[in-house]
Amino acid sequence: MFYSIYLFELRYWFRKPLFYVYCGIMFFLSTLIMATAAGIFEGITASINSVTIVNSAIAINALLNEMNVIIFFLLPSIIGGTIFKDFDNEMHSVTFSYPFKKWEYLLAKFLSGLSITIIVMFFAAIGIMFGSILPGTNPDLLGPFVLMNYVQSFIYYLVPNLIFYGAIVFAVVTFTRNVSVGFITVLALIIIQSFAGVLTQDVDNKILSAMLDPFGAQANGFYTEYWTIYERNENPLPFGEIILYNRLLWTGIGLFIFGFVYRTFSFDQEAFSFSFFKKDGRAITKKNFGSIMAIKLPKVNLDFSFVENFKTAWIISNTDFKYIIKSWGFIIITILGLLLSLATIAVGAEIYGTDTLPVTWQMLEFPGLFFGLFINLLTFLYAGLLIHRSRTDKIDQLVHSTAMPSWAILLSKFFALIKMQAVLLIGIMLLGMGIQIFNGYFKFEIGQYLFELFGIKLINVLIWGLFALFVHSFFKNFYIGFFLLLVISIGITFLSQIGIEQSIFKFNQGPGTAYSDMNGYGSSLGPYYLYKVYWLLLGIALYVFSIIFFRRGVPDSIKERLDEASKAFSPLLKTIFSICLIGFLAMGSWIYYVNNIANENLSSKEREKQIADWEKNYGKFQNIAQPRIVDVKVDLDIFPNSRDFEARGKYILVNKTAVAIDSIHIDHNNYLSSFDFGNSFELVLEDDSMNYDIYRLDNALQPGDSLLFSFEISNKPNGIFRNNSPIRKNGTFINNSLFPRIGYNSAGELSGEESREKYGLPPKERMASPTDSMALKNTYIAYDADWINFETTISTSPEQIAIAPGYLQKDWVEDGRRYFHYKMDSKMLNFYSFISAKFEVAKDSWNDIAIEVYYHEGHKFNVDRMIKGVKRSLDYYTDEFSPYQHKQVRIIEFPRTGGGFAQSFANTIPYSEAIGFIAEVDEENEDGVDYPFSITAHEVAHQWWAHQVIGANAQGATLMSESMSEYSSLKVLEKEYGGDKMRIFLKDALDRYLSGRSVETRKEKALIYNENQQYIHYNKGSLVLYALSDYIGEDKMNAALSKYIDAVAFQNPPYTTSLEFLSYLDEATPDSLKYLLEDMFRTITLYDNSVKDATFEVQEDSTFDVKLDFYTAKYRTDEEGKRKYSDVNGDSLSLEIEGRRRPIESLPLSDWIDVGVFGQDEDGKEKVLYLKKHKISEIENSISIVVNEKPTSAGIDPYNKLIDTDSNDNKRSLKEEKKTDVSDR
Amino acid sequence: MELSLSNISKTYKNGVKALDNVTVDITSGMFGLLGPNGAGKSTLMRTIATLQAPDSGTAVFNDINILEDKISLRKTLGYLPQSFGVYPKMSAEDLLLYFARLKGITEKKEREQIVQTALEITNLWEVRKKSVKGYSGGMKQRFGIAQLLLNSPKLIIVDEPTAGLDPAERNRFLNVLREIGTNNIVIFSTHIVDDVKELCTDMAIMNGGKILGHHTPAEGIERLNNQIWTKNIQREELEENEAKFNVISSNFNQDNSLNIRVHSETQPDESFSLGTPELEDVYFVTLHKDSEIVAA
Repeated sequence: MFYSIYLFELRYWFRKPLFYVYCGIMFFLSTLIMATAAGIFEGITASINSVTIVNSAIAINALLNEMNVIIFFLLPSIIGGTIFKDFDNEMHSVTFSYPFKKWEYLLAKFLSGLSITIIVMFFAAIGIMFGSILPGTNPDLLGPFVLMNYVQSFIYYLVPNLIFYGAIVFAVVTFTRNVSVGFITVLALIIIQSFAGVLTQDVDNKILSAMLDPFGAQANGFYTEYWTIYERNENPLPFGEIILYNRLLWTGIGLFIFGFVYRTFSFDQEAFSFSFFKKDGRAITKKNFGSIMAIKLPKVNLDFSFVENFKTAWIISNTDFKYIIKSWGFIIITILGLLLSLATIAVGAEIYGTDTLPVTWQMLEFPGLFFGLFINLLTFLYAGLLIHRSRTDKIDQLVHSTAMPSWAILLSKFFALIKMQAVLLIGIMLLGMGIQIFNGYFKFEIGQYLFELFGIKLINVLIWGLFALFVHSFFKNFYIGFFLLLVISIGITFLSQIGIEQSIFKFNQGPGTAYSDMNGYGSSLGPYYLYKVYWLLLGIALYVFSIIFFRRGVPDSIKERLDEASKAFSPLLKTIFSICLIGFLAMGSWIYYVNNIANENLSSKEREKQIADWEKNYGKFQNIAQPRIVDVKVDLDIFPNSRDFEARGKYILVNKTAVAIDSIHIDHNNYLSSFDFGNSFELVLEDDSMNYDIYRLDNALQPGDSLLFSFEISNKPNGIFRNNSPIRKNGTFINNSLFPRIGYNSAGELSGEESREKYGLPPKERMASPTDSMALKNTYIAYDADWINFETTISTSPEQIAIAPGYLQKDWVEDGRRYFHYKMDSKMLNFYSFISAKFEVAKDSWNDIAIEVYYHEGHKFNVDRMIKGVKRSLDYYTDEFSPYQHKQVRIIEFPRTGGGFAQSFANTIPYSEAIGFIAEVDEENEDGVDYPFSITAHEVAHQWWAHQVIGANAQGATLMSESMSEYSSLKVLEKEYGGDKMRIFLKDALDRYLSGRSVETRKEKALIYNENQQYIHYNKGSLVLYALSDYIGEDKMNAALSKYIDAVAFQNPPYTTSLEFLSYLDEATPDSLKYLLEDMFRTITLYDNSVKDATFEVQEDSTFDVKLDFYTAKYRTDEEGKRKYSDVNGDSLSLEIEGRRRPIESLPLSDWIDVGVFGQDEDGKEKVLYLKKHKISEIENSISIVVNEKPTSAGIDPYNKLIDTDSNDNKRSLKEEKKTDVSDR
Repeated sequence: MELSLSNISKTYKNGVKALDNVTVDITSGMFGLLGPNGAGKSTLMRTIATLQAPDSGTAVFNDINILEDKISLRKTLGYLPQSFGVYPKMSAEDLLLYFARLKGITEKKEREQIVQTALEITNLWEVRKKSVKGYSGGMKQRFGIAQLLLNSPKLIIVDEPTAGLDPAERNRFLNVLREIGTNNIVIFSTHIVDDVKELCTDMAIMNGGKILGHHTPAEGIERLNNQIWTKNIQREELEENEAKFNVISSNFNQDNSLNIRVHSETQPDESFSLGTPELEDVYFVTLHKDSEIVAA
């Protein structure tokens, strides 16, 4: 019997077109995604520059799991549908009376649905295979085809997940007899999953979060999180015990749920239901008496005027609106969505464990997921439910036979959707204000909330609402409509990858808005609304289609529906449709014209080509003799209200070469510019599109001679919808990249290997080697100057303050404009900025150094911490390194829309409003770092490490700037807040380094060869330099650094390199520790330290004997991340361990590593009982340590000073061993 | 006041010819549309109620061309489909106010008044706050009547409204219809002859998508005067009688014998006695004739 039901259900599905639609969509989608990833569209768009293979085991698994999530949305229709159709067709009263057993019925239904789902999933897998073998894909992005990659993914993840989610859906549909509830359940489960994902981000215990993820993705991530590119490309899908337990747990829960259905299910006919509002159970007794009466209906007036119909639509939308907000689906998804937003805010607003203040823009920004995903999902869902509602409830014939026109009926659904969207948006506002109240932040910006939510977000979701109604009114089948909407809304964001880049071709896309406290929405609103109006016009035109295709009555055939539609297409509707469509096309053409014809717009393919041409045309000029800038004077007029600028500048250029220079190459930008060289000259080459000009001087510039070069630059007028200037109304922040540069800029060349090959350019390293003498001629900051004199006069509107490097000479008001004259008294890099905004100023001083913080009104929160940071930094750096070269330190706030970073210019530190200014530092919080303090220390450190010492433009240069600034700020932080904070910082750095290397797009370089790779110079750099100072001692380290500064500060070319830097450290390092320099700086070396066993025994003299057994292993990886265990001599260590398939391997060891034992003080805080470096030379080690207090934990490298991919197994709680007879053991 | 249909035909996608050249004129009063299941009654009703387009033909109500100007007809239409559902969790009163709005009653006062009247007429006033979803079959049908009254319709179409109602409900229901029917056209389809007998002023018999007869109930009976013959027979004699005579109906008596009725212009044989023609006879004779034509 089981088989006959099972086979019957399968046959049922095989006959259904829906099954083939699902298979087809999944196949097509997968093929497209895979083919895109494999570079099939490289011909029409930019090249994919990646060393990651797209069909490796881990990549295939990730993609298959993503497709599986889409298939979860089909579960209600397939697995739910197999059981639901019996109820829906009222067949259950008949079928349930047949003689089969309950298990046969349920199991056959479930398994048939599951089988069908798995078949659909097969089509996704076949699509992926197909996509990877299509002609036109890029073989460099593809590895060999390995069937096992697919098989394993199905066995480990896809099928178990389908069982788990399938069982839940099956249970829900069986008990509620409602497929939409099954649908909502899937949504809810997916939200819960991402919710768990967000919550567990912070959890230190990765095992727990790996277990808690029903998808198994976190369990997989537990093993693969820090995989290098090599491992990602080559390794098969891992299957460790964490994954096994996770799979067993969740499949088990799935089976348990199915068992529960089996136990509780009975062949009765009543659906299980639940209601929010308990109904009273009073029976209604009908009256059968009283018979004939005269019927006198009161006179009523029927009014079907346009206005009244419109009002009716609004009023009756309340019925649908109530239906939505009272439905479980809406309530559950909204609550989950809000919780998810709450979690996102809680986690997202943290930097180094420290919260940011709940300012309004943050409250509005972090629930982005909610805006983007949930409001859309609910819109798609309820648009469909509303369209089909009257038919589902069989009230359609009553409604459709009233004289209410279709447009009004449909409009009422649209109104109901808008009301729903408004409720969700208000939910965001209440959530935000709730968080603000909870945090004691009472500066409510209700206007800001309302404007952002109803002025900006609403129109966006509303356009989706129109579109959703359109799609749903076309498809009789709700699932196809929803599925299509889902695929379209997700797919749109990937269109750029197939060469469709301009927003006017992508439904409801366009420029976004960006808000900052300093500058409001800036100039982002105009373009935003322009695009929204554009899409709204299309939305309305589509809506007219929804009206004419509105299914009224019982149309029998498609022809009939078309007839009806053409009749319903009344002159009025035709007019509206035409106006909207013409408006849409006209606006689209206009936008296209402005963006493509009136202004130059390059597609990413064209841009790639242009960059290639840059090198092809002008690369030959890279090493020709050019004069260098030695002196800069700029007059800059900033007009905040019209957002314009005018600049007049003068460079003094000196021929520092040994040859006469007769032509000068000017690399500029596309602002309106004019150049002058004082004496007579001739323009010999002008390139309008790449903005490269060559001027020939009539009198060549002789070696040692100088030349005055002057220029004028201004912007083209700003259009309402097009910004041609970087000036902001409040908070302009621009730098010298606005001004012309001398000579060819090799940084503007194509860097991706793939792209270079495509355009026939020779392979090129991202940066030159530090041994390349040509590269040492320039700093990594500028190729047209060494050190300069700098002077500027800035004018701005009278209420603003303008700031640039140098000291204020004069400040005056003239003709309603405010002028600031700055002059730098010492030499500085050719690297300067201009800022203008309304500011409050806090002033302080350190010795005779003036400290000033320019901040936005109301952002005073952390100004004192920054000032403290400046003072402590000056303390430490002047003591340990060298004197400070300026007389002043200024921190200046700039809008977050300009970026979320701080940057150091000579005596000037622009600092984003998003970091530091709104931090909420809690000194009590042990896990939080005072980052306004530490970022300040980092930026002040740059006054030494970049502005005194500047590396040559070669690999490793940022070691002396970024890594050293990190090291310096860590030391300042440690001095102020103690070693505990270090650990938070270093743990974070370790995680970022390990994650960073796993997404490297080219090669991971050793620290001294790093090519401006952030995860190396910031994160690995801070770890390594801090560890080295721990090993050789802070004093010795700083003495070496100070010596290095003495030798190279303010030097002229050739500039210093990381190799020279390392030689100073080498000198300070004793021979026994020199291996550290090799491991940390010259190679990529990692440890794998882990505790095997940790116990203690109480001795008779009440001391404690701690016994620590641990493994130490060390390995290197090459630039792709492939592990090596043998040194240059081919030596390595190896240890066989029982129960492990492979031996532990290691490089030969002679390493000093921390061994620590910890106890607790009275407050229960951890306390160090023992911490000493031990020399380790074996893989397996056992150490006994006697301590005087009761120990609680012990470990090897317990503070994670060394780089170790699993830092959690370094330390373990101690077990007490009771003194027992030896025989017992 | 006149509804006139001419040459209306409709063939479904699956080949079923639901309406076959239907031509009929209907004036004020109760018009009963009698026919067996599947006769095409509901299709005809839906066509008049603007919910379904015929393949050909014209339909005019007063001056309104039903097939072209649906909205105008709907303004004056009251329609109760064969089966309908309601939105869950909504009371009768709320649902009626909702319909009143849909039917274009824009004055709040008027809406409330007409809803109250409709509830009173249909005797649902007491239970107006209850969810309609929880109503019994009869109450739900009465609710259906209440909703169709809201716009004071001139053309009322009720599709098999009495199916499944208990006798008292049915009576009450028919009385209400009758009251409404005095000044308006009420078209009312049924397969129960008694419904028509009791209250229709005009009637048509329909089968196979065709109107087989159109007359008042009295006329129909009149025509069969002296043509209906009855006799009691044993159960086993039925086949033999059916072969010999034009048997239009047969009913069991209490003693398990059968009473058969035969249509014949002359006495079939002396064992038959003359019966009083009833509307049921009209119905069966009409259907019978039709099937004979088809068979021939």
